[in-house]
Amino acid sequence: MPFMKGRAPIRRTLNYLNAGKLVLKDKIKVFSVAYNITGQNNVGTKEFCFWYLPQIQYKNPDVQIVTLKNLTPSPFIKCYLDDGRKILIDVDNKSKEDILEHLLHTVGKSKETLDLELLKAEKKDNPANFGVGCDRSCMCEVFGQVPCSGVVPLPKFMRGKYKNQTD
Amino acid sequence: MSRNVADAARKFLLLGQCVPTVKQNAAKIRVKRLELDENLLMYFRKEEFYYCHDSEKICKTGDIVLIQALPEKLTKLITHEIKEVVYPFGDITDPVTGKKVSKEQYKEDIERQTELYGRLKSTFNYNKAPPRGWQDGKKDFTSKPTYTKFHVFDENDPYGI
Repeated sequence: MPFMKGRAPIRRTLNYLNAGKLVLKDKIKVFSVAYNITGQNNVGTKEFCFWYLPQIQYKNPDVQIVTLKNLTPSPFIKCYLDDGRKILIDVDNKSKEDILEHLLHTVGKSKETLDLELLKAEKKDNPANFGVGCDRSCMCEVFGQVPCSGVVPLPKFMRGKYKNQTD
Repeated sequence: MSRNVADAARKFLLLGQCVPTVKQNAAKIRVKRLELDENLLMYFRKEEFYYCHDSEKICKTGDIVLIQALPEKLTKLITHEIKEVVYPFGDITDPVTGKKVSKEQYKEDIERQTELYGRLKSTFNYNKAPPRGWQDGKKDFTSKPTYTKFHVFDENDPYGI
């Protein structure tokens, strides 16, 4: 790990950042964490911010992550959705793993949605694919391939009704 | 084009703090974002300033507000409008309990402490204090950008402290 100076430089590796589990739902635009610097009930939130915040920001580059310090006696997390609603999560006296799990269940995208999105991204990645969701919907659109049978009738030897005729 | 769309999506709803400005019709909001440094793979705070349309003048300096992008720019600079004031400066209500807070203590706890110690006539009373901004323009110039005066000039500028 080159340039690995500072506290816990493992947080700054690509492997660690890519291993983030929390992908926030699309509607969430602002994710704010409010906690105090001192106080035993904020220890979990402080550790959450120290360890998991880079991962969350890496997986959600379009979400604004705000940390507010020394606002209220008890820590909380507030998510602002784009239709005006807010999600308030009380994290008083919770450990960082508890907070992450709770967030995964409430505001994170489920594993199935993430897998679906991966599949869709894969489909888009390979330019040779054609079909639903890709650039080309049918192979007949490509120059040099068999033209669309809806536009130009196929030659006799390619037609099933000619090849397999019994009379 | 896709980058414009991504930029617009990022700037749609933001949380920021109101900073002093000389402009009379707009509020200047500072939005802090985290930006990834590619070489260090570390997130650094980057601040952006937005001028926001504030028709009812609900926003004062220091308030933390939620701003929303306007469908069309009002003027060349005003691109957002203030949706709501989330935490007014000095008068924060704890969202979890709903009680008034003063930094790390509930105001009712402070009241109880002062009662136990004995209340004088000069003790500050949160309930009876005048609303924020009553000295604005007379003795409190923090709503405009201020600077320290190191030299005494002829014209007396009230914004220099």
